[in-house]
Amino acid sequence: MLFSRRLMLGLAMAGSMAGALAFPAMAEGPTEIDLFFPVPVDGKLARDMGTLIKEFNEGHPGIKATAVYTGSYDDTLIKTRASIKAGKPPSAVIMSANFLLDMQIENELTNLDSLIAADGSTKEKFLGQFFPALQGNAVIDRSVYGVPFHNSTPLLYINADKAKEAGLDPNKPPQTWAELTDWAKKLTKREGDKVTQWGIAIPCAYDYCGWMMETLTMSNGGRYYNEEFGGEVYYDTPSMLGALTWWSDLVYKHKVHTPGATPGPAVSTSFISGNAAMMMLSTGSLTYVRENAKFNYKVAFIPRNVRNAVPIGGASLIIPAGVEAEKQKAAWTLIKWMTSPEKSAWWSRATGYFAPNMAAYKTPDMVDFLNKNPDAKTAVEQLDVAKAWFATYKTVPVRKTLEDEVMLVLNGKKQPKEALVAAQKAADETLKPFNAETSLKLP
Amino acid sequence: MSLAEPAALPVAASVPPRLHIVARFTTRFKASLPAYLLLLPSLVFLALFTYGAMGRVLIDALYQRATPKAPLRFVGLDNIAAVLADPAFTGAVINNLIYAIGTAIPSIGLALLFALALARTNAVTSALRAALFLPVLIPMVAASALFLFIFLPNVGLLDYYIGRLLPVLPNWLGDPDIALYAIMIITIWKNAGYYMLFFLTGLQAVPEDVMEAAHLDGAGPLMRLRYIILPELKPTFLFVVVIATLNAVTQVDHVFVMTKGGPSNATNLVLFYIYQQAVEHYDIGMASAATLLTLAALMALTALSFRTMANREGGA
Repeated sequence: MLFSRRLMLGLAMAGSMAGALAFPAMAEGPTEIDLFFPVPVDGKLARDMGTLIKEFNEGHPGIKATAVYTGSYDDTLIKTRASIKAGKPPSAVIMSANFLLDMQIENELTNLDSLIAADGSTKEKFLGQFFPALQGNAVIDRSVYGVPFHNSTPLLYINADKAKEAGLDPNKPPQTWAELTDWAKKLTKREGDKVTQWGIAIPCAYDYCGWMMETLTMSNGGRYYNEEFGGEVYYDTPSMLGALTWWSDLVYKHKVHTPGATPGPAVSTSFISGNAAMMMLSTGSLTYVRENAKFNYKVAFIPRNVRNAVPIGGASLIIPAGVEAEKQKAAWTLIKWMTSPEKSAWWSRATGYFAPNMAAYKTPDMVDFLNKNPDAKTAVEQLDVAKAWFATYKTVPVRKTLEDEVMLVLNGKKQPKEALVAAQKAADETLKPFNAETSLKLP
Repeated sequence: MSLAEPAALPVAASVPPRLHIVARFTTRFKASLPAYLLLLPSLVFLALFTYGAMGRVLIDALYQRATPKAPLRFVGLDNIAAVLADPAFTGAVINNLIYAIGTAIPSIGLALLFALALARTNAVTSALRAALFLPVLIPMVAASALFLFIFLPNVGLLDYYIGRLLPVLPNWLGDPDIALYAIMIITIWKNAGYYMLFFLTGLQAVPEDVMEAAHLDGAGPLMRLRYIILPELKPTFLFVVVIATLNAVTQVDHVFVMTKGGPSNATNLVLFYIYQQAVEHYDIGMASAATLLTLAALMALTALSFRTMANREGGA
């Protein structure tokens, strides 16, 4: 996999040749479609996907779907783009929800409105099945381009045993930044200058760091980006300044958070090993924590400073541009089947993501599951205050301009204000060509 | 790309007498036809996957879009100028230089040391050689995943042992001042055993009689190393230095797995920069321009070292 990355530039060409060799024109028989799917969390998902697709094929003799594992979210975008360039796009892809806007700008997505209309449904009715928080990343310019498949929100995980030990009540988790700071201080253990147990851990690596900054900024009343238009981000704003200053204070003023940028897996390992007493991490890690924690844990909403608000994460099903009509129809059948309440609920239980289809939570199996695992309910409840995930023109580089600066702040090399000014400037530069074509293209 | 590839191309073109030019060409062609036929399969793949891709990069480097929906247009050398003006690219080049020097010298030094210590073959040295060669057998991606846990802040293997000694534990991969060096340690660990093989072979070629003569003349181990072994190993050194430099540019698997060029671009190397331009920025023009620059540098380096080698063999 990494080898092909290394030969990235040859990939498009190689892809086209492989495609030309591998797919001779089909005459009769079932419509063959490919589904590209990433595995962002752990290896078990690939097997679950195999089970799901096998069941679909047995129930739909006219269609033969093949699930193609395509690596991480980022790899899946690369491979999808390479196959679109090669003229042989897959019929459906499970795509990171915040890549949709960028793909739509590059004309790489099929507008799903006509497929919805062909079913005799309406956009409103179709989208109405899903949690409202998920619609922002699926609808672009009032057209549907993606169908939410599995989603997440950030959560506060608390080591309940350590909380009790410190005289805190884990059943009344911190609800504000002030309370969280207080908890983190009480949960930090020191021997002289040396910290033996950290109060809180918040991940910061490319991708995760931007998501956590959006989380903190939103809980501080901010927006991070313009939800209606892909050419603007709000980095140099009071709400983000407050968010970054608080994060930096946890490290350098209160000394309850380890210095430097810590990636997600390091944060979860730190929490599981008892080295960090609290962490902010995706709901997607809930299954991992449930299976590995040797202590009692609690999950809670992300505390607020101004308001309770978090971004969503996760992936949507899309149909790339340039898929033939017949395959489009088959892919649409697959997509509707995969996002139906029963399948949605099954996938949610298998993976730990929450099911985007609201009716999934009314299926008997799901009701049972939630009764047995009440912690899985918190993520769903938090959806009431969830908002869309940042998506702009060139989402990844625009996000990276902020992440690079945040990492400098967490390493004590820059002050929050100057970091955000630099991030804003770099992001504006990246967004310039898009604005030149849209907001600044004047009559 | 393998070092042997350029050897497949050159076709001797001496100047034949004018009158017989056609006849000569035909006879020659007839004579070498079987050779070409035998080469054909590899030439096809070489053309498709190596030179074809390089040609494509050359073309892509000349085109750019002004705005997302605008059509591609010919921009000449603008992409190359833009890459050279990009601070992220210059940063990656500097990182790559530090990385190349900081990995080549220690790994070659260690390799030589290992080879000298284990030059004689017996059961113990064979076992030790195998142990030192082991990291070469582990794929870089797997090794990176292993080191990810070794470097884990606070709970990783490294901090578990060093933690008792240091007042503040470093965040090995999360601190821009340390991350590049952490990455370099893996490269040294992985490559030293590989280069050791070359030095072991080189040592076999040191003439036994010269060594014996020096021994009889009373030359101590250091004298023998300085005046006999090291001069004999010169070609090996040259070869290993070329390999090590090429590795420093082409092996970035651990950057993908461990840091993605971060934190704050501290571990961004040239090849990863190209990947970012192509994939994250989705800017094929810039990525191709950066690829061309890298290719040019690598080719110049290879040509230079081959010439030095040829000169040495001819002159010395």
